[in-house]
Amino acid sequence: MAARQINNPLHVLGHYAALILLALITLAPIWIMVATGFKDDVIVQQKEPIWFFFVPTLDNYEHIMTRGKFDRYLWNSVIVGTVATFLTLFLGGLCAYALARTEFRGRVLVANSTLLVRMVPPAVLAVPAFAMVLNFSLDNDLAVLIFFYTALNLPFAIWLLFGFYKQIPVELEEAAIVDGATPLQVFFRVLLPLMKSGYAVAGIFTFRIAWNEFILALLLTGRTTRTLPVGAAGFITDTGVEWGRIMAMGTLIVIPPLLFTFFAARQIISGMTAGAVKG
Amino acid sequence: MSGVQLVDVTKFYGTVNVIPPLNLSFDEGEFVVIVGPSGCGKSTTLRMIAGLEPVTSGMIRIAGKDVTWARPKERDIAMVFQSYALYPHMDVAGNMSFALRLAGTSKEEVARRVRAAAEMLELTEYLERKPKDLSGGQRQRVAMGRAIVRDAYCFLFDEPLSNLDAKLRSTMRTELAILHKRLDRTMVYVTHDQIEAMTMADRIVIMEQGHVQQVGTPREVYNNPRNLFVAGFIGSPSMNFLDAELQDDELRVTGQGFDLPLPPRLHEAAQGHGARQVIVGLRPEHFAARHAGGGTEASFLAPVDLDVKVAEYIGSSQFLAADIGGRQVSAAIEVGPDSAPLTSGTYLFDTNRVYLFDKTTGDAIA
Repeated sequence: MAARQINNPLHVLGHYAALILLALITLAPIWIMVATGFKDDVIVQQKEPIWFFFVPTLDNYEHIMTRGKFDRYLWNSVIVGTVATFLTLFLGGLCAYALARTEFRGRVLVANSTLLVRMVPPAVLAVPAFAMVLNFSLDNDLAVLIFFYTALNLPFAIWLLFGFYKQIPVELEEAAIVDGATPLQVFFRVLLPLMKSGYAVAGIFTFRIAWNEFILALLLTGRTTRTLPVGAAGFITDTGVEWGRIMAMGTLIVIPPLLFTFFAARQIISGMTAGAVKG
Repeated sequence: MSGVQLVDVTKFYGTVNVIPPLNLSFDEGEFVVIVGPSGCGKSTTLRMIAGLEPVTSGMIRIAGKDVTWARPKERDIAMVFQSYALYPHMDVAGNMSFALRLAGTSKEEVARRVRAAAEMLELTEYLERKPKDLSGGQRQRVAMGRAIVRDAYCFLFDEPLSNLDAKLRSTMRTELAILHKRLDRTMVYVTHDQIEAMTMADRIVIMEQGHVQQVGTPREVYNNPRNLFVAGFIGSPSMNFLDAELQDDELRVTGQGFDLPLPPRLHEAAQGHGARQVIVGLRPEHFAARHAGGGTEASFLAPVDLDVKVAEYIGSSQFLAADIGGRQVSAAIEVGPDSAPLTSGTYLFDTNRVYLFDKTTGDAIA
């Protein structure tokens, strides 16, 4: 039945039409962002939006690079994103492993309930977080953001990695132990290679959230610790919104997570082709 | 004392006692098969020998050394797991050499030993393949290769053939037996399959609920089972049990639908046995068909009436599902490949092969 439907030209047409529509819905905002970044202010402010045909300019990029503190924000974002991701994967991995390998009543409940924490939107935490940070006079310290992003991401990372660890049969570890491996060797030479795709997936999610997060970053950073999204918001001024620059900055912000995702996705695929863990 | 010894070994999970005090001794170079139904404690016993499961009390000795609390790598053992537990991210050579590489063996030595093991197991052309690109039988061999390269004192096998199909299983049984002869190492093999136990073992340990029911050579446990459990577990198809009564002269045993003279070896034991009520054990393969034409039968063959329900043709013999006096029994009768399906009638039973068991204790009367 399914095969006949696919062979029917009308169905094929409908199929592709739906796919193209979905792709357009997804790509349109990205196109608007990228295009606006290359428009000068006059074009941006036109009543009738110009979608495709305009003379592109690099003015916005030049402004961001030379006159803002782009390099500072970028550095802050890179530090916060990578350190938070590393910490989340490290701590989350340990926790997930312990959960996956220790039998106790309500184990799955514990693993799943970590997701509850994930349901709390960062905005809800903003006020208490702000109060705490002021209390400890940490309002100009990158460690604060790293701490909060790690805390926010841990539940999801634990839940995700728990699932991956559970798939790895205990016998593999036992075989390694009998083969003479120390606990660290078991982890680094047997488990970690098999967990690559799990860590890659968790890493993509964690890094993306740490990189993009806005509200906490806005509240908890000072002049020298601002991250890129907060920096972009700086173009909303009392004299108006500089859309071209915001969009140019947005375009630049998107690039590192994209690169990171491509890199991590390669690990996911190689993890999948390494074959079913059950062998 | 060399070999492997378990001295008063017990195992508790919380308050649950899975292994009551267990005493076993395996000689150096011996192939011992621990067999029993699932949950009998055989795998736990093997894992305690391997050091993967701590004992609650008692002592384990391997090659004369007390290894009760030693880590697995200090026990000079190699183990083959039921799921093979091959490392999916390493190729065959990587899997086989992992232990040697961890031990810091020189590259040349690693290559030499892997090559030797691969040749022995006919894996040479697969050395660069990943486990997922191998068939079940090949994976099984890699798992064995991983153990062989270690050149360990003792090899432990945890149901290594149970994931293979029937044909491959019987081939691997033979290969394992040959391997044992070549390596001449102590091997402890756990299985629930009594055929594996019978075909490969120098000695069989039959366990039930943590207790050792009998230890002996395949011939001993088949010919002289110590109790009902061993008698029913060893032998395929399994032994038939029928309620019966010892006659006053104690030389005959009678039940519903049968009356068999006892073999001379049981005379004395039967006379010394107090109770009249017993269980008679008849192995299916000790039934025979009557000669066509009613020729004279040997004196040790007694007639038994079988009400045949189904006759299964398996080539040289037929398996009968039949009734004796209303109780279901099975019989394996050698009649040759051209025989017609067997029907109800009078068959013969080899009275030298009658077994008697105490009805209350289940122990063999012998």
